[in-house]
Amino acid sequence: MSLSSRFSTWWKAVTRASQLDSEIEDERAFHIESRVEDLTRNGLSRKEALRQARVELGGLSAQKENCRSAWGTRAWDELRSDLRYGCRMLIKNPGFAAIAIGSLALGIGANTIIFTLAKQVMLDRLNVEHPEQLRLFGWSQNEKSGAVQWEWGTDVATPKGKMIDTSFSYPIYQQLKRQHQEMEDIFAFKNFGRTTVTIDGQSEIVEAELVSGNYYKALGVKPELGRGIQDSDDGIVGSSPVAVISDSLWSRRFGRSTSVIGKTLELNLVPVTIVGVNPPSFTGAESVQISPDIFCPFSMQPIAFRRYAPSLLASTTNWWVVVMGRIKPGANEAAASASFDAALSNAVKATMTLTKDATMPRFDWVDGSRGLNEMRRQFAKPIYVLLALTGFVLLLACANLANLLLARSSARQREMSVRLALGAGRGRILRQMLTESLLLSAMGGIGGLFLGYLGHNLIPNLLSSSWEATKIVNHLDWQIFGYTTAISVLTGLLFGMAPAWQAAGTQASSAMKETAQNVTQRRRGFAGKTLVVLQISLSVILVVGAGLFTRTLSNLSKAPLGFNPANILLFDIQQPNTRYPAPKDIELHRELEEKLSQIPGVDSLTLSQATLISGARWMYDFTPAGQSTKDADKVSANFNAVGAHFFSTFGIPVLAGRSFTSSDTSTSKKVAIVNQQLVKKFFSGANPIGKIFTSSLSHSVPTEIVGVVADTKYTSVRQDPPATFYEPYIQLDNLESGVTYEVHTHMKAAAIVPMLRNAIQSVDKNLPLMDIRTQQEQIDDTTSQERIFAALTGGFGVLAVVLACIGIYGIMAYTVSRRTNEIGIRMALGAQAGQVLRMILGEASWLTIVGVLAGLGIAAAMGRLITSMLFGLTFWDPLTLATAALLLVSVALGASWIPARRAAHVDPIKALRHE
Amino acid sequence: MGRQNDLLQGTLDMMVLKAVSLGPLHGYGVLQRIQQISGDRLEIQQGSLYPALYRLEHEGWITGEWGQSENNRKAKYYRLSASGRRRLHAETEKWNHMSDAIGAILRATPEEI
Repeated sequence: MSLSSRFSTWWKAVTRASQLDSEIEDERAFHIESRVEDLTRNGLSRKEALRQARVELGGLSAQKENCRSAWGTRAWDELRSDLRYGCRMLIKNPGFAAIAIGSLALGIGANTIIFTLAKQVMLDRLNVEHPEQLRLFGWSQNEKSGAVQWEWGTDVATPKGKMIDTSFSYPIYQQLKRQHQEMEDIFAFKNFGRTTVTIDGQSEIVEAELVSGNYYKALGVKPELGRGIQDSDDGIVGSSPVAVISDSLWSRRFGRSTSVIGKTLELNLVPVTIVGVNPPSFTGAESVQISPDIFCPFSMQPIAFRRYAPSLLASTTNWWVVVMGRIKPGANEAAASASFDAALSNAVKATMTLTKDATMPRFDWVDGSRGLNEMRRQFAKPIYVLLALTGFVLLLACANLANLLLARSSARQREMSVRLALGAGRGRILRQMLTESLLLSAMGGIGGLFLGYLGHNLIPNLLSSSWEATKIVNHLDWQIFGYTTAISVLTGLLFGMAPAWQAAGTQASSAMKETAQNVTQRRRGFAGKTLVVLQISLSVILVVGAGLFTRTLSNLSKAPLGFNPANILLFDIQQPNTRYPAPKDIELHRELEEKLSQIPGVDSLTLSQATLISGARWMYDFTPAGQSTKDADKVSANFNAVGAHFFSTFGIPVLAGRSFTSSDTSTSKKVAIVNQQLVKKFFSGANPIGKIFTSSLSHSVPTEIVGVVADTKYTSVRQDPPATFYEPYIQLDNLESGVTYEVHTHMKAAAIVPMLRNAIQSVDKNLPLMDIRTQQEQIDDTTSQERIFAALTGGFGVLAVVLACIGIYGIMAYTVSRRTNEIGIRMALGAQAGQVLRMILGEASWLTIVGVLAGLGIAAAMGRLITSMLFGLTFWDPLTLATAALLLVSVALGASWIPARRAAHVDPIKALRHE
Repeated sequence: MGRQNDLLQGTLDMMVLKAVSLGPLHGYGVLQRIQQISGDRLEIQQGSLYPALYRLEHEGWITGEWGQSENNRKAKYYRLSASGRRRLHAETEKWNHMSDAIGAILRATPEEI
């Protein structure tokens, strides 16, 4: 026996069936011919000999089939005939096929889309060599007495749920780097965020990342063109002004020309030479989803990336660098971590001047294979919720199909009995039914994959702001394909099992004899009824979800903000700090404010350090003079530096005192305006006008409160107005982080932006306007997740109701047709049409009530998990729950009405004769 | 035909292998050779011959090849492969072993027990 001959014969039988057929015929013809010759030689007539030879050899088609099956094609042939038969059944019932395949495609497609997102956010790793060896360094410290006072970076959670900080000072990074024993390498990077890049005289804003000299080597990333950043680039400050650009920037701005190497671009107006282009798959070490466009060595920071300090590289107090290490395979992690803890303490003691009671930060590290993994923190919960909801949708589609198939398989009982009687095995019938289900689910799966392909960028698109280019790009890959295939097969088995079982359980005799015994077979429909209850309860869950998220969105859009966002246009200006070192930046914005205010069409114009409802905020310690409270939550207040017309532009009423005026200048007395919350928090509601305070913003220069304004929301619509104080930007030390201009205008953005741009370029032609959007768009952007949820869950809800409708109608119509006989008897014995109607509707409402109650119970139990995603209502919102229950009850009764009416109008004579 | 219907499944395979081991044969030739060697005591049911040939080819014990018959017609010739030879050997041993055992049982007399 040999596998190769088995396979080659099987392959020939399968792929070249007609050739095999004709070979068998040839061989047979030769056999008959030879036999006829022998027989005629023995004296038979040729005609008689031919007849005898044929009889001896047996029928041609049986012979062919036996020979083919000797080559192991039996399973294949049966599968093919099952498939052919299944296809024929589907073509015969196009309505059923459309509903089945359509609902499966929607369910599977929704799952594919959400899985694509989930995979990217939760599963994908950095596209570097052995990402599993990467460790992200971090630390934690005592909040009150910790040695680290200034920090710029993100927190990450350890597997134990503890939050650790991931920023280090540059000198400490260099000391840790020497602690090498258990590590292959230690490297560092920092995303500097949005940076102005000028290429051939055209400026745009890109994300820039500073990296250590060993970054490329340690990650094992080879640029697709040129070279990466090397150790020699990361030496003396400014010695090597080089950059590696992303594949996306290369396509966008250089048309993938290889002459890009050696070209010069300006970063914040500092000339830099391009030395390499990253491969498209490389997104940096920070994020799996988004790649910065420019990578520069750390040695460029004091020159092109001035921020916070003259040189962050030299600063020992500013903690900002993200540090990663590649651990040696098989190294003792705990020991390595402990040695870094000791090294960190030593480094802190060696580099920082500490107060007497300062405590050391404690070292810790986490898996770095997904970078800082910020997307996961942001989206993990919504993704789990969406996965659950799409799971329900698919389950609902399954239940619906199982229901329809069950009804069909009962209708096909006669066919099954005939098959059984003709000698088909039960296994064979089971297999045939499952093949039909799998055929359906495979077609649904193909549809779903297609929908998944169409929609794979849908959610990333919805999530990114309308004024920013889409950052996240989903790639369909074999994992997604595998997932879709797996759920298709699983659904096929799930909804095909019960009908197949029922079909295989048919008695050859019973159905042939037909009728009579189904006068009252209540138990018969048990599986179908369970499915209806399941369908209704799943629908209730999905409708409740839709209601909760839609109402959340509506509550958010109705929530009072405290200011009027109408007719306000926003844009950002990030002046290059290399050209505008403080206080020149303040002078620049003063000049721009004045110039822009004069543009015709501008009703009112102001600027602020923080954009309202953008998630960003400034916070400082706030201490009213004469109060020295050490109460922890009475220490800090929110802050915004604003232009003189800020309050009038946003329509924020000044309740007491005055607004800022042009007489508040950089040299005049420092003044501030506070909101009501702050008055309540720090002054217990007493009139604060004229009171003096100090804050960590102005290095304890006493500032006088000159006015009180109404409360406004600051970071988000969800958060209540915080205690906030405002100061004129003109009295600030610097505006290094850039500002947002707010223009109140009745003109269209397209009409006024060119005028604004001209005015700005008359001051500095290299200053780009960033992120032009209306205040309303800005607010909508912060609720994008809620909008996606409202849209998706709304869609799921509608789908659920439609499927429930079909399912209930199907099962009730089936029940009625099964019970036509019984109904006929009842009516012949004197039952009225109304009684029959009530009987059928009563059964339907009984099922509905059980389903609705179960659904409400599950929805209430699961609602707890989404409490934090809701706004302005609780998860047991009575209105939503009642509406959902009412909707499903009316849908169920509506769907049963038609079959019930049909039952009520049955003609007893016909019904009794009905087979 | 008829009386040999209950030939054990394996015996037909074994006889075909043996017939082919004496030289390449087409299907009809296999039939003739078996009948000739058995002195017409065995008659092979022709309907089951070809499925048996295909089964043996599927297993790789014989290989089929199209050629010219003695009267210049197209015919498929089967020859024994190396693994078929091993198989035939094993089958023959098994058969001999079994027929010895069965023979011993049938020859048994009361005295021997």
